[in-house]
Amino acid sequence: MIEVNDLVKRYGTLEVLRGVTLSVDPGEVAAIIGPSGSGKSTFLRCLNGLETFQGGTVTIDGLHWGVETPASARGRILHAVRGRVGMVFQSFNLFPHRTVLQNVTEAPIHVLGLDPDQAEARARRLLDRVGLADRLHAMPRHLSGGQQQRVAIARVLAMEPRAILFDEPTSALDPRMTAEVLAVMADLARDGLTMIVVTHAMRFARQVAHTVHVFGDGRVIESGPPAQIFEEPHEEATRLLLSEVQAA
Amino acid sequence: MEETADASGGPHPLARIPRLLSLPVPRDPRLTLVALSFIACCLLEPRPSRADTLAEIRARGRLIYGGDMEGGGPYVYPDPNDPREVAGFEVELMDALGRELGVKAEFSQGPWDRLLEVLRAGRIDLVINGYEWTEARARDFLATRPYYTYQLQLMARRDGPIGSWHDLGASKPGGGSWRVGVLNSSAADTFADESGGPHVEVVRFDGGTDAMRAVENGQIDATLQDLPTVLFYRGRYPTLKLAGPPVGKGDYVIYVRRGDEPLRDALDRGLGRLIDSGELRWIYERHGLWNDAQRALSDGTGAKSQASRMPRPEGLELLWRYRSRLLAAAWVTIVLSVTSMPLAMALGLLIALGRMYGPRPLRRLLAAYVELLRGTPLMLQLFVLFYLLKLPVWVAGIGGLAINYSAYEAEIYRAGLQAIPAGQMEAALALGMSRQLALRRVIVPQAVRIVIPPVTNDFIALFKDTSVCSVITLVELTKQYSILGNSTGGWLEFALATSLLYLAMSLPLSWFSRWSERRWEASGAKGGAPA
Repeated sequence: MIEVNDLVKRYGTLEVLRGVTLSVDPGEVAAIIGPSGSGKSTFLRCLNGLETFQGGTVTIDGLHWGVETPASARGRILHAVRGRVGMVFQSFNLFPHRTVLQNVTEAPIHVLGLDPDQAEARARRLLDRVGLADRLHAMPRHLSGGQQQRVAIARVLAMEPRAILFDEPTSALDPRMTAEVLAVMADLARDGLTMIVVTHAMRFARQVAHTVHVFGDGRVIESGPPAQIFEEPHEEATRLLLSEVQAA
Repeated sequence: MEETADASGGPHPLARIPRLLSLPVPRDPRLTLVALSFIACCLLEPRPSRADTLAEIRARGRLIYGGDMEGGGPYVYPDPNDPREVAGFEVELMDALGRELGVKAEFSQGPWDRLLEVLRAGRIDLVINGYEWTEARARDFLATRPYYTYQLQLMARRDGPIGSWHDLGASKPGGGSWRVGVLNSSAADTFADESGGPHVEVVRFDGGTDAMRAVENGQIDATLQDLPTVLFYRGRYPTLKLAGPPVGKGDYVIYVRRGDEPLRDALDRGLGRLIDSGELRWIYERHGLWNDAQRALSDGTGAKSQASRMPRPEGLELLWRYRSRLLAAAWVTIVLSVTSMPLAMALGLLIALGRMYGPRPLRRLLAAYVELLRGTPLMLQLFVLFYLLKLPVWVAGIGGLAINYSAYEAEIYRAGLQAIPAGQMEAALALGMSRQLALRRVIVPQAVRIVIPPVTNDFIALFKDTSVCSVITLVELTKQYSILGNSTGGWLEFALATSLLYLAMSLPLSWFSRWSERRWEASGAKGGAPA
């Protein structure tokens, strides 16, 4: 489903990703954990072209691009990729000038060309699924953070993506709201959606993810099933990270 | 001494006016403004001049006379031999009169059609600038005996159909009316207005040479001007001819404030001596201005003898009489602003988007566009569009305002667009939107909300900037105020009426702005209370 090969990202002389190789199978939930500044978010943003990179290749659902791909072709490929891979942001990024319902129907109508009634029916179903059927006409700023993030997830689901990238989806939320959002995500995982989740929520990584990738200093330090990563980490850096998280 | 106390701190002296008059200060600052302008108007009310201007002039040794040297030949114009000095037959006349009074005559520059206001405000001692004797002026000011008898001369294109003033009595071939340019509020203005007949449309200019250029450009058919001006400038406009013999006739006089009889009498005596000694004739001959019409000057009576003391209408009666003119001018102001502002807003948005998201060369080009238009005066831009590019007057007016304001709107939009968090564009792109679609559906609608207040602010500013369009002959409200003030002397009444009209037109704009801001708010609250 997603194949990343030797990805390198630099800001000037600062190397943020130093050759990341990683693959995700269809239906797999991959959690990426690691200390701040280890390149987790940057890595995720390279996958749908919000960031450019300076080395390596990415293949998503048969769409392949790399540094050598000419700009015009890359634009077309990225547009297709974004049509198939959704993204959920740490700061929700809902459209503040649209209602909850409009946030979810916006892209299906204007990108997929869906009939507005059809789009609305789909949006109502998805908002019901994330538990917001009663806030359809609210404006985003009148929702709690947890509610906003659930709208954001519904917004992505409305595009019927093959995979969703979650960029620290619960970092801006308090524990109760975090639980609401993680419950929705766990629900999606059970449905077999392919997900890459950059997260600090270790319990989620342990209970929901199939694979955990530990990032450190722009590299993948260690990958494996959660049981192995959390119970018997091979690497000293992983152990350090986990002990820090538990202390906090 | 109280002034020094003020200067040392405390509120601005103006701020104290309402309190001094124990007026309630209205919440809307513009209402305060109205109150202040009302007070200012009251201060402008003709007041008895200070004890004795003549004694004051003698004491300071200088006699200050007002004129306008812009397009002012042969009356008063920058001296070609020494541009720091002024030259002209009126300058020589004033030098001679100064000698008669035993003081030095000193020129003071002012806009021609406002010289009497400058005089009334006490900034100058007298006005001498081809000002003819008129009944309206003689009511509010004192006039000396005539110092020159002028005639009016029509100028038209050599290859044109107009041979004389008489030709304008017939309808124009091909329909429409003859457009005849005049100097605003001059004798030619009155003459063309009253004697022009049904086929003549009077177009008013701020300078005589502007009107000549407009004839050359084909923007108007002919121009009627005082003969001295025509003789002085005709060489510069070789495609123009003197069309027929001079028409009309009147006297140039010097105006002083009412109550300054001693000064007026001293000037009269001085003029008499200059006429009797032949010195005045000698000045006119040197300028090629002497003709038989001047022989009547020695009578010392001229048109002044006809002075009538008919009271002029005042207050509401005056306003009522000229209501159609005021309202027509207000309409011009409205049309100018409501057509140019939407254009400026649309153009500004395109420029802002181009500057932020366009290719690099376009960004540079648009940045230069913005700087050029913000960095040069609107008046100059209007001049270029109308006199150099020869655009039709409404195109030049609306286009000029729209282009000028588009630069300001572009900067406002740019600020508004930059205020939208980067996450919005990212979220839109991540949902598969193209950059264009994201701008249209996500970014611009949010930016518009942010820019409503500053854009409305600019709308109100543009609305008042329409007055600059008078330089390209559009008679909008401010121009009409000046025209009516000049022709009737009712400055106070028209100042008040004009301010009120401006206010009546700009207040709805503010209300609209507040309403639309509230509307956005309301649409945001529709979903109910926060969770």
